[in-house]
Amino acid sequence: MKTIDFLKVQPVFAISTLLIALSLPSLALAADYQEAGSFAQGAKSWANNCSRCHNMRDPQDLRDDQWNTTVFHMRIRAGLTGQQTRDILTFLQESNNTVKAEPVVLTTAVSNSGSVLSGSDLYNQTCIACHGANGKGTVPGSPDFTKPQGPLSQSDEVLMQRIVEGFQSPGSPMAMPPKGGNTNLTTTDIQTVLGYLRENFGN
Amino acid sequence: MTIAATGKKKYLIALLVAMLLPLSAMADEKYDLLQQQVEAMQKQLEQVREALKQYAEQSASKEEVAQEVTELKKDIARAAEWKDPNTLIHLSGYADVGYAKSNIADGSFNVGSFSPIFHYQYRDLVMLESELEIEVTDEGDTEVALEYLTIDLFLGDYLTLIGGKFLSPIGQFRQNQHPSWINKLTSAPPGFGHDGAAPVSEVGFQVRGGFPMGNMFANYSAYIGNGPELNSTIEDGEFELEGIEAEGFGKNSNGKNVYGGRFGFIPLPGLEIGISGATGKATVTAIELAHHDEEEPDEHGDEEPDEHDEDEEGGDEPDVDFSGEPARDYDVFGFDFAWGLNNFRLRGEYVKTKIGADEVGITASPGATWETWYTQASYLFPQTNWETVLRYTDFDTPHSSQDQQQWAVGLNYLFASSVIGKFTYEINDGEPGSQANSNRWMFQLAYGF
Repeated sequence: MKTIDFLKVQPVFAISTLLIALSLPSLALAADYQEAGSFAQGAKSWANNCSRCHNMRDPQDLRDDQWNTTVFHMRIRAGLTGQQTRDILTFLQESNNTVKAEPVVLTTAVSNSGSVLSGSDLYNQTCIACHGANGKGTVPGSPDFTKPQGPLSQSDEVLMQRIVEGFQSPGSPMAMPPKGGNTNLTTTDIQTVLGYLRENFGN
Repeated sequence: MTIAATGKKKYLIALLVAMLLPLSAMADEKYDLLQQQVEAMQKQLEQVREALKQYAEQSASKEEVAQEVTELKKDIARAAEWKDPNTLIHLSGYADVGYAKSNIADGSFNVGSFSPIFHYQYRDLVMLESELEIEVTDEGDTEVALEYLTIDLFLGDYLTLIGGKFLSPIGQFRQNQHPSWINKLTSAPPGFGHDGAAPVSEVGFQVRGGFPMGNMFANYSAYIGNGPELNSTIEDGEFELEGIEAEGFGKNSNGKNVYGGRFGFIPLPGLEIGISGATGKATVTAIELAHHDEEEPDEHGDEEPDEHDEDEEGGDEPDVDFSGEPARDYDVFGFDFAWGLNNFRLRGEYVKTKIGADEVGITASPGATWETWYTQASYLFPQTNWETVLRYTDFDTPHSSQDQQQWAVGLNYLFASSVIGKFTYEINDGEPGSQANSNRWMFQLAYGF
């Protein structure tokens, strides 16, 4: 009569039971598909994780659905959490939106105020992931704001236009998406954050 | 009444008639004007009626508007089907072409590989991933291999169950760095290719994921699989271990599984430190009567001989029954790190694989150890697309003819973030006269899509 080695089977049984128990919440998880993530957290996770292994891909390289499978593939490769996956996906899907190019008209002088959010809040929410807390850039191709001949040597009109429409620095492997990827930014927000840049990183 | 009075009256009448005549003429003009105005108004009225008639003909009723809205909503819903279906299908991958020349062989153009990756995803519950590796051999034939095929079940935010043939989670190179558009040099570090010290792939099941640790993150993987197989050879009349084939076999040659995994720690953004290992049993399943010392690593650093080589030599592997061959100890240890700051990248890996002795089998021989490590630094010049790379590797095997120390220096041009032209020069230091001692330079154009 064939016997079963209990010591051999026990670990397999225990692991199977554990996995089945863990899989039950997945039904609720799948029902929320696609669950929106945090744009700001996504920008940070994207900047902190992706460049560890490969060059940063431009958000506009892929469509929303293509980013979906690609980011889930990267969830496996990079050991991302589910929340990081949703955050990065939200950031990339919002950052590949195109913005209709329209002339930027400065209605008021650029200053570190005027928006509902402060310049610091806006910078930390949308810009810091790539440009860093010190304005020197955290990802390859991100320019150094503190350099005398850096981006802040340009006029307000030029910088506003670049932020609104997106801009690829010479030699940078990727472009900054329109409005830094945060399409909810208003003209006043952009004026405010530009004022913050000049106040904190300008020479 | 006198004649004078009568004449005066006639004169008055005549005067009145004379005065009224122009008034009569003026009344006629006003009449004509009024008539013209009336006619103009009539025309305008007709035009308005006509316009109203046309408007009525062109205007939709409430029912018709509702119908149009319904159709529009259907169109929008159909369009959304393309954007957010439950099942997503995506084809990505990478390919590379190039040229290589060593100081003991003629230069040759080559098609490195075409590696399409198929993704099928059902919502956020499951994903099927498969990568093929299609290569052109030296003889012009096309070889197709299944690099990996897994079904990934996302069981929760911190846990994914993976089944199938998967890339080995030992270290980082095989699972994350080997695609040609990611690898910053044209070749793999010695020992990290096929038949090296680091396992390539495994067939079995794996759990992996990531989780936060306060402000830090960690990731993990743990697997169970069939394990590798061993090759043996005869040297001076005695058997000795030739190599480890850890490439995801579809059968378990000794009935004993291999267990392994990796733990990665990310204390700071841009820094990852990993420790990995595997343990189990491995059995000799082939005897090779000729060393592969003369095999030149391909542009991916693989030392595996082409299948045709064995045919040409009349069969390197004698027909031996290995069913009673005992299982040897198989232990792997790995350490890896990756760090990046702005345009600078530094990474390194160490892998040691130890095979135990066998004293009773057909191919009884002492144990053996394969060990390799590399450190690689790269720098992307600011405001340019040029990148420099420097890597040092030290690969130690039980066979002195396969031992190799290598300096590799590279200059890359990034046409785009995933389209890279790479020039690499390798300075190899191995046993004199062997391939491991020949320097070579290579060019490669790699595209990740």
